[in-house]
Amino acid sequence: MVSNRFVLKRLLLLFPVLFGVATVVFAILHLSPGDPAVVIAGDRASQEFVEQIRSDLGLDDPLWQQYVRFLGDVATFDFGQSYQVNRGTQVSQILVDRLPITIELALLGQFAGLLFGLPLGILSAVKQDTWTDHLTRVGALSGISVPIYWSGPLLILLFAQFLGILPTSGRIGSEYFIEPATGLILVDTLLAGNVPAFQSAVVHLLLPVVVLGIYQMALLSRMMRSSMVEVIRQDYIRTARAKGQGSKITVMKHGLRNAFIPVITVIGIQFGSLLGGAVLTETVFEINGIGTLLVDAISRSDYPVVQGTVLVFAVLYTLVNLAVDITYSVLDPRIEQ
Amino acid sequence: MASNTKGSSRRDFLKRAGGATVATASITTLAGCGGGNDDTETETDAGGDTGDGDTETEGDTGDGEGEETTRLRYGRGAHSSTLDPQNTTSGEVAKVTNQAYDGLISFQAGEASLTEGLATDWSMDGESVTLTLREGVTFHDGSDFTADDFIATYRRFVDEDYEYYFEDASVYGPFTLGNWIESVEAAGDYELSITLTQTYAPFLRNLAMFAAVVISQEAIEGDTNLGEEMVGTGPFQLETLDDANNRIRLTAFDDYWGDGPNVDEVLFLTRGQNSTRAQALVEQELDIIDGLDPDSMQIVEGSDTAENRTATGINIGYMAFNLSRVEAFRDRRVRRAISYAIDTQAIVENIYSGIATQADQPIPPALFGHNDDISPYEHDPEQAQSLLDEAGYGDGFSFTLTTFQNPRGYNPAPLPTAQTIRTNLAEIGIEMSIDDRQFSDYLTYTSQGRHDATLAGWYTDNADPDNFCYVLLHPQVEVPDGQDWVSWDTEGYNTSNNAAWANTEYMDLVEQAQRTTNQDERAQLYREAAQLAHDEAPWVFIDYADEVRGVANTVSNYTVAAIGGPFLEVVEVE
Repeated sequence: MVSNRFVLKRLLLLFPVLFGVATVVFAILHLSPGDPAVVIAGDRASQEFVEQIRSDLGLDDPLWQQYVRFLGDVATFDFGQSYQVNRGTQVSQILVDRLPITIELALLGQFAGLLFGLPLGILSAVKQDTWTDHLTRVGALSGISVPIYWSGPLLILLFAQFLGILPTSGRIGSEYFIEPATGLILVDTLLAGNVPAFQSAVVHLLLPVVVLGIYQMALLSRMMRSSMVEVIRQDYIRTARAKGQGSKITVMKHGLRNAFIPVITVIGIQFGSLLGGAVLTETVFEINGIGTLLVDAISRSDYPVVQGTVLVFAVLYTLVNLAVDITYSVLDPRIEQ
Repeated sequence: MASNTKGSSRRDFLKRAGGATVATASITTLAGCGGGNDDTETETDAGGDTGDGDTETEGDTGDGEGEETTRLRYGRGAHSSTLDPQNTTSGEVAKVTNQAYDGLISFQAGEASLTEGLATDWSMDGESVTLTLREGVTFHDGSDFTADDFIATYRRFVDEDYEYYFEDASVYGPFTLGNWIESVEAAGDYELSITLTQTYAPFLRNLAMFAAVVISQEAIEGDTNLGEEMVGTGPFQLETLDDANNRIRLTAFDDYWGDGPNVDEVLFLTRGQNSTRAQALVEQELDIIDGLDPDSMQIVEGSDTAENRTATGINIGYMAFNLSRVEAFRDRRVRRAISYAIDTQAIVENIYSGIATQADQPIPPALFGHNDDISPYEHDPEQAQSLLDEAGYGDGFSFTLTTFQNPRGYNPAPLPTAQTIRTNLAEIGIEMSIDDRQFSDYLTYTSQGRHDATLAGWYTDNADPDNFCYVLLHPQVEVPDGQDWVSWDTEGYNTSNNAAWANTEYMDLVEQAQRTTNQDERAQLYREAAQLAHDEAPWVFIDYADEVRGVANTVSNYTVAAIGGPFLEVVEVE
């Protein structure tokens, strides 16, 4: 079992990580050109008006004062109000609204990756060096090599524009308005008992999930294959086969469990990068999660939103990695120390 | 869903029942409008002509299908950052708030002229403005509209002593109202008298701007969050603000005082990429779209479900010389030489694909005061070279052109524009480098006057020549004797004048025009000012961009408007 001490130690490590991230974000924002006061005031504003805004926001204070104030706010999870993206709304509220959108996308992407990646990997391993194997491996290699900002528009072009069978963007048809309960559109539409809305959400999420899932699928099938190939060469598999056990049973019962250990690690680690992939996917498919939020906030010098979003990314990433480490040590107790 | 249908049929019934009354009323009020405005703004006369369009819609109102919810889907490039008209200068926000709010005065759909809004009559006599307000108008919260609502709206915007003063009020507070208004008083419920700080002819147009719309006093003084709710008197009321999916749903307001609305619902949907938006229009996922560039226009053009519609825009794209910074630019011969050297015709035709016209003066053609006798500087490198020789810069000189990177309406391709300018100037020995910046950075940089020259542009706020001539080319500070520019560091300098040009003759004309209420006299003053600006060339005048919309074939009665609107209340969808 994982010791509490291990978990606690890792959780405590979160603080220096966040401190570092917060400092870097603060520094980058304040070093980069573009004055938020000018952006807020707009091109009609007089110097006086801009000065007023700058002083209202405390942007005319010395940088160290702004930094200390910022750290204090971060410590109390108060990121302030959005300057531009959602004027006057608390950043924490915006994040609460937007985060589920990204998480839903990342989870679905992960699920799609697992659903296709694992069986393909196993198939590839079992049918090693056959046509099936070669085909899967080439497919996997391309899956890893193709960037989302290329595969996304390509699929949109094919399915939405040429074939016209899938929508180009968004999460749900424009005619459906569902009261957000969880923020997860599939769950919310089901909770509302609105089947057409649910179907619409499924259809809308199909392409983004496929795009996000392709990379996962490719990576997992490669991982699964090599891990499986390694395992089925082990002595205990040969022994099982020698005892007269059928090859399928041997693979599933003895091989799979052992081959899973490294794969699960990869799954966990990759979930973090899925969040990063979600930024691209969201941008391509115009889905309004924290990925697009971040892009939007950066381009509009919305400091509070950028800071809040990046910190949330950092927390998520760290927590997911912690979860991976814990899972890993559960599976293989030798790792813990 | 069932309740939805019920709601809509009730609405349709009310609409049909009310249609006839409104139609009659609108004819009478239009007649009244023309008469009422004669003494103040002659251009409102033109408003009478377009009145036919409005009344026609009433005849069609009865066609609405009883059962189905009629829905108008408006696609645009960005979602509203707020629903508070006093918290923004963004036209994207105005598109939505204009549906829920009315101003005292409105712009005539598709025209630059004024028409009635919540005021039915007005007059301007020197510093005193009197308005008669419309009776029997209800806000979405059920309260009645009176003069007090306007006063509360005004005070929330500019009066720091008011308990409900809005701390985050946009620059439009002082820019359009605060700087010009001395006091506002109500004489009874339906009479407003406004005293100005000086005679200021464009004032009535400021009242027609989206930022000056009237908000319910009850909402202002209650606990309504006006960033997320809209409590106006407009044709549509807010049903859902869905920030998570970048969309807004408005429903028809049954007690609307004017024509329409002719649809039950309006959806504002966001499709950030132009091509996606155009594709969605063609696929009949959207009914009207804006923000089209030449590529997306082609998508629409090639379809049989929608078409492009254009109207002359009220905007200008230009290159400003910073006289405060570059000595060579203080010589008008150099500025004129550069104006001759740059092939603006090629820029407009090749780079902007013809969805713009070549500019020749600061006042766009759709506005009164535009001088028709002026024509663009012709591309004439020889003339340019001889002017440079004359000015003593025959061997050339070098400077940097600052530009934004992203397309803007008045400049759909800033980088290619800058590159063309660079090539043109190289021909006359001027070495120009390009400094391209992200828009927020560009704004900061140029507002600090750090540019040698900059690509810039302007969309009108109130469709008045003053909004171009005074705002963009008047320094608004004292000018040192014998100089036609001011230092950027001068206290109180108007940084919107990014040329730092300060020609006293021009300034006198523009100031005089502000104080002249007679329309013809004003127009003459602006024509003179425009000629002067053309000759002195503080800018290279590049283009006036067209307003382009993609409209589905199922949509009727939609007018492309360069100012005010979109006027969706009269639009019908099959």
